[in-house]
Amino acid sequence: MSNGIRVAALEDIPEGEGIVIDKSVTGTADDIALLRDTDGSVWALDDTCTHEDASLAEGWVEDGYVECPLHASRFCLKSGEVQNLPATRSTCPHRVEVRDGEVYLFPNETP
Amino acid sequence: MDADISRVVVVGGGIAGVSTVAALRAGGFDGDLTLVDTGEFPYDRPPLSKEYLAGRRDLKQIALRTPQWYDQQDVRLVNLTAVTALRPAEGAVELAGGRLLPADRVVLATGGGAARPPIPGSDGERVHVLREAEDADRLRTVLVPGARLLVVGAGLIGAEVASTAVDLGCEVVLADPVNPPLAAAVGIDLAAWLHGQHAARGIAVVPAGVESFEPTAAGIAARFSSGHEPRVFDAAVLGVGMVPQTALAVAAGLETERGIVVDTCQVTSNPAVLAVGDSARTRRDGLLLPRTEHWEAAQQDAARAAATLLGRPAPPATAPWFWTDRHGRHVEAVGRMAEADQVVIRGSFDDPAFSVFGLRAGLVVAAAAVDDPTAVRAARRMIDRRVRIDPARLEDPSVNLRALLR
Repeated sequence: MSNGIRVAALEDIPEGEGIVIDKSVTGTADDIALLRDTDGSVWALDDTCTHEDASLAEGWVEDGYVECPLHASRFCLKSGEVQNLPATRSTCPHRVEVRDGEVYLFPNETP
Repeated sequence: MDADISRVVVVGGGIAGVSTVAALRAGGFDGDLTLVDTGEFPYDRPPLSKEYLAGRRDLKQIALRTPQWYDQQDVRLVNLTAVTALRPAEGAVELAGGRLLPADRVVLATGGGAARPPIPGSDGERVHVLREAEDADRLRTVLVPGARLLVVGAGLIGAEVASTAVDLGCEVVLADPVNPPLAAAVGIDLAAWLHGQHAARGIAVVPAGVESFEPTAAGIAARFSSGHEPRVFDAAVLGVGMVPQTALAVAAGLETERGIVVDTCQVTSNPAVLAVGDSARTRRDGLLLPRTEHWEAAQQDAARAAATLLGRPAPPATAPWFWTDRHGRHVEAVGRMAEADQVVIRGSFDDPAFSVFGLRAGLVVAAAAVDDPTAVRAARRMIDRRVRIDPARLEDPSVNLRALLR
């Protein structure tokens, strides 16, 4: 088990928003969206919506879900589970840890 | 749940029908649930004028649900089958071939057919409509580079088809006597801006209707109203609205009025029959409302119908929302722009992204945006939560809209 990749300072991600971490950093197939919920918690999902080519990091984050900026499918921040159409497939979650105001990402580890 | 409702049949596999069965199961309905559809499997219609028409996605890729989903949800999908009659008195629906399917409640999600106004010559084979995947398949075969295409009607479908056809290399003429279209939905200024995008992509916009079509040796000649020169095309598409499919309801004696009339719980004039989606028309406080022919509205109907069948209060209504994708731009609108008495522009029409907010008596009642969906998602919450917003902050692009909601 690694210590994770330091990908951002917590203060870089406003509540209710997200930032993209490039796949060259994460080593994953897709870029990863680092999403900060309205309660301040930080979550990570594959960035590309499973419906069409849209970045979930640009979506609306609120109360445990992110809403895709293109056609408003919502995904659970914790599980990646799709909540409503038009997307029909869930997305992949990744584990995140916040230590001393720094955000560490554990790609492909279950949250 | 009402104990005598153990068998529900949903007629029609569009977004309204599929959302109804999904909402019933999500709400804990554990009875017998059947979805009858004439197609092979339910698919999503918005891509029919875009990715599917362009050939970038096939039918399986626009399925509304995976094949496994129906098994997982214990929904019996009766595909490739038409319902030929409702028999509410007998507690059944009749399928093509005469088989009766028992149903304590029926939900009609029959949708609409493409409108075909009585334009002389419009029954020719070069005149297309777009409503079903088969229509898109047929249209796609003529959208080859250099093909001369006439799109009649510059509303959502017409504009999207025109955009897709230009992408595919067609020479496109777009005719609509309304200038600009969509003004009621997005406001006059944004409507004019959107309509102007067509000419910027090389589409010839004709501000006229079509009076007749006539076959020629190599195509079809369209004669326009208002003295515009007739032109010859390889094909034409009519994008002039839809006609609600009410035949089953009419035959069953249900009240219809350019739509199947339902109450605010989606119940028709027969308490054993509900209706949702494009074919339904709500009467509220004695007043027949216009049909809301949008993708998300169909899902809200479905959620209300499911709540009715489960004996629960209806989920709260949210402001109506739709999107359109054309000419590489993502456009969203929410609320009722026609009700606004003040319009606030955030950003510049010369430099998308930008958004337009409509306010009435200081409250946000509508918004529309080009390449700025966050503005519309924020507006939607402002409308639903009746949050009072300072217009000066709304129009300042440096102000975070999320922060205005807190």
